[in-house]
Formats: sequence, C-alpha cells, structure tokens
Amino acid sequence: MTTALLQIDQAQCQRSGEWLFAPVSLAMNPGQLAVIAGPNGSGKTTLLEALAGLSLMASGQRLFNHSTELKQWLKHSHYLGHKLGNQGSLTCAENLQFVANVNLTTVSESTIEDVLTRAGLAGYDYQHASDLSAGQKKRLALSRLLLLNKTFWLLDEPFVNLDHAGCEWLYQVIEHHIKQGGCVILTAHDQKKIHAMAQHHMNLEPALEVA
Amino acid sequence: MRFWALFKRDVLVAWRKKSNIYQPLVFQLLIVTMFPLGLGAGAQTLAKIAPAVVWILALLSTLITLENIFKNDYEDGSLDVYVLSGMSLPTATLSKAAAHWLTTGVPVILFAPVIGVLLHLPAQAYAVLMLSLLLATPIFSLLGTVGSALIMNIKNGGMLLSVLIMPLLAPVLIFGAGAVLETTLGNSAFGHLMLLLGCTVLSITLAPLAAAAAVKINLE
Repeated sequence: MTTALLQIDQAQCQRSGEWLFAPVSLAMNPGQLAVIAGPNGSGKTTLLEALAGLSLMASGQRLFNHSTELKQWLKHSHYLGHKLGNQGSLTCAENLQFVANVNLTTVSESTIEDVLTRAGLAGYDYQHASDLSAGQKKRLALSRLLLLNKTFWLLDEPFVNLDHAGCEWLYQVIEHHIKQGGCVILTAHDQKKIHAMAQHHMNLEPALEVA
Repeated sequence: MRFWALFKRDVLVAWRKKSNIYQPLVFQLLIVTMFPLGLGAGAQTLAKIAPAVVWILALLSTLITLENIFKNDYEDGSLDVYVLSGMSLPTATLSKAAAHWLTTGVPVILFAPVIGVLLHLPAQAYAVLMLSLLLATPIFSLLGTVGSALIMNIKNGGMLLSVLIMPLLAPVLIFGAGAVLETTLGNSAFGHLMLLLGCTVLSITLAPLAAAAAVKINLE
C-alpha cells in the first residue's frame, strides 16, 4: 500500500497507435514539485493531458488518495495547457468570474481585483482578453490558479511567453504554493532554477519497440 | 449552477459579437429579396411557396451558425476549462444548446413574420408559423451541438456538419413546413405540430448525450 497522495503507476500514452514514451511512475506528496522533461514531440503535453484527466492513458493508472475516481481528482487539480482558455470577447474580470462560477465557487469583485493585481494585471479588469499581449494572456490564464487555489497544479510550459519579471513572479508563485502544501507538476525546457527546486524529475524516453 | 455559469457566459459572448445574432437574419433577408426577382411572379405564386421558403430559410440560416458552437471553445481552450471543472458533459452541451437557441433561435422566430410578409404568406398562417418555429428551433440548436462537437477539431468542417445533420433535420422540415402549409389551405395543423413536438422532446432527451459522447471522443 502506498502512502503518497498522488500515485502514478506505469503511465504510458499513445499517439495514432504508437507508444510515445517508456512507462513513467511518480509518487507525490504535499509540498512537492515534479518536472517533466524531454525533447519536442516526446509526449510531454500528451502525458500532462492524460494526468489532468482530459484524455485517457493508454496504460497505467492515476491514484489520487488511493482511488482512480476522476471526480475527486478534478476537484483538486488544475490543468493549464498551451491553449490558455481565455475568452477573448470577455473582460479579464468576466473571464475569472466564469471560471469561478463553473467551478462552483463564488468570488467577490474585490477578490478578482486582488487576484489580477497579484498576477501583474492591475487595472486590466475591464480590458477584453483579446486586447492583451501574449504575455498578459498567459498571466491571465495563470491567475486562475490563484483564484481557484486547488492543491495540484499541472502546468504545460508555464514559462513560455513570460518576460523576465513574469518568470520570476511565477517561480515565487510556485514556491509559495509548494510551501503551502500544494503540488505542482510542470513541463519545462532549460529552466535550471525550476529543476533545482524540484523533488521529482521525469525524463520521457522513447518507448522500446514492443513486438 | 454550472449550467447557468456556462449559459451566461455564452449569451454574453454572443451579445459582444453581435454579428452572430445578425448574420442569420441578414442571410434570410438577402435570399428572400431574390425570390420575387427570380420568379418574376405575382403575389399569388409567392404566397403558394411561402410556407416552404420561410421554413427553409429559417433552417439554412441557423445551419450556418452551428459550426462555432464548440469550435471556438475548442480552439481557445475554454472547453478544457469547463470539462476539467468536473461539470457533467451532457449538462455542458445542454447549456451550450440553450445559449445558442436564445441567441440564434429566438431572433429567427421573431424575424419569421417579416419574411412571411415579404412572401405574402396568408394572414391565418402566422400563429402556426411562429409556433412551429418555436418547437423546431430548439431542435436545430440541439442537433447543432452534436454536429459541432463532432467536427470541432476539423478545419473547414462546416460542410461536413451540414451533411451530417441535414438528414436528421429533414423530418423537422417536413412537419414544420407541412404545418404552415396545411394552415394556409384552411386545414388543421394539429397533427404536424404534435409530430414536431415529438421531435423536440426526442432531441432534448437524446442530443445532449450524443453531443457529450462526441466531445469526449474528440478530447481523447
């Protein structure tokens, strides 16, 4: 019997019938950071999507609190992928309001303002998301993490498009989250600092040919 | 609660991009002005074809709006946001259909009398026309979610969507246009309307499940 909060056993994913990488396992406890590394096309995004529950693993399983049940996992995990999920014709505040409502939480306007300020988007409350720069859009998407404050964060290339200050901010946010007992799984390229912070390193290697 | 959250967002987005609401109406108006010109005929001929034309226009103008029900959400990633919120997929698809109906179906119903007047539709048929569209437009939106969910990751899938759901909409057209036609001939439209109501109930029950399955297939 394992005691880890999140246990991933021998996870493997397929793309058009081909195994993408050799099986990976992971046991995570509160307050830990895992980094998934691997070259382009090695299946980092596919793995993260499968871990998030968006798609299915071809083999292996995810045990959260000793159960494979998806509902509990979704309640405690937050996935942020390449597609940011901002609705361009809504304002920043409306985007956050929707995310909160659809996750069955009610937030006040001052909470939203506070979250946007912490994400470096102070004063952008009533700006349409489509008018933001690429980096600001990323910040808006990341601000959802602060808004919902779930335990597990699954981030796909969170540092892409962020400026130097943005990266520093994100390091701090992740560090703070881990200190609070949260867990973060992310994919990253060449982020020495994040590798230094991580307890788990998963390197995706090509799957061996199986007859 | 989640249903309303998504519904409210979709209605707000449609309201911001008003072209979504105007587009079907402008489409109808453009086509309907062609009929007298092309036919070169008087009011009597127009009145004869009016039930069918009003109905076909309502159907086609809705059809061109269906593609984007899920496509936009899929492309910008907001689909992931509400799927991963733990919301049940049939609830999500029903909510999308409801929002689409309010922003496309309702304007089409309200606009139908205008098209009717332009085609000299006999006065006694207006009530049945509106009623038949009231029953049918939810079917357009519901089947639209199924089609849109199936083609959301295909580029230029609009044509495929039309081919997929047109056969399913054929009975709706037959009963709907039939109801209006019977009324113009002075007969009762009760039977047609009841069959149409049957289609509405059937699609409210089954379409959200089918659309949810389609979303799931495309995410995996």
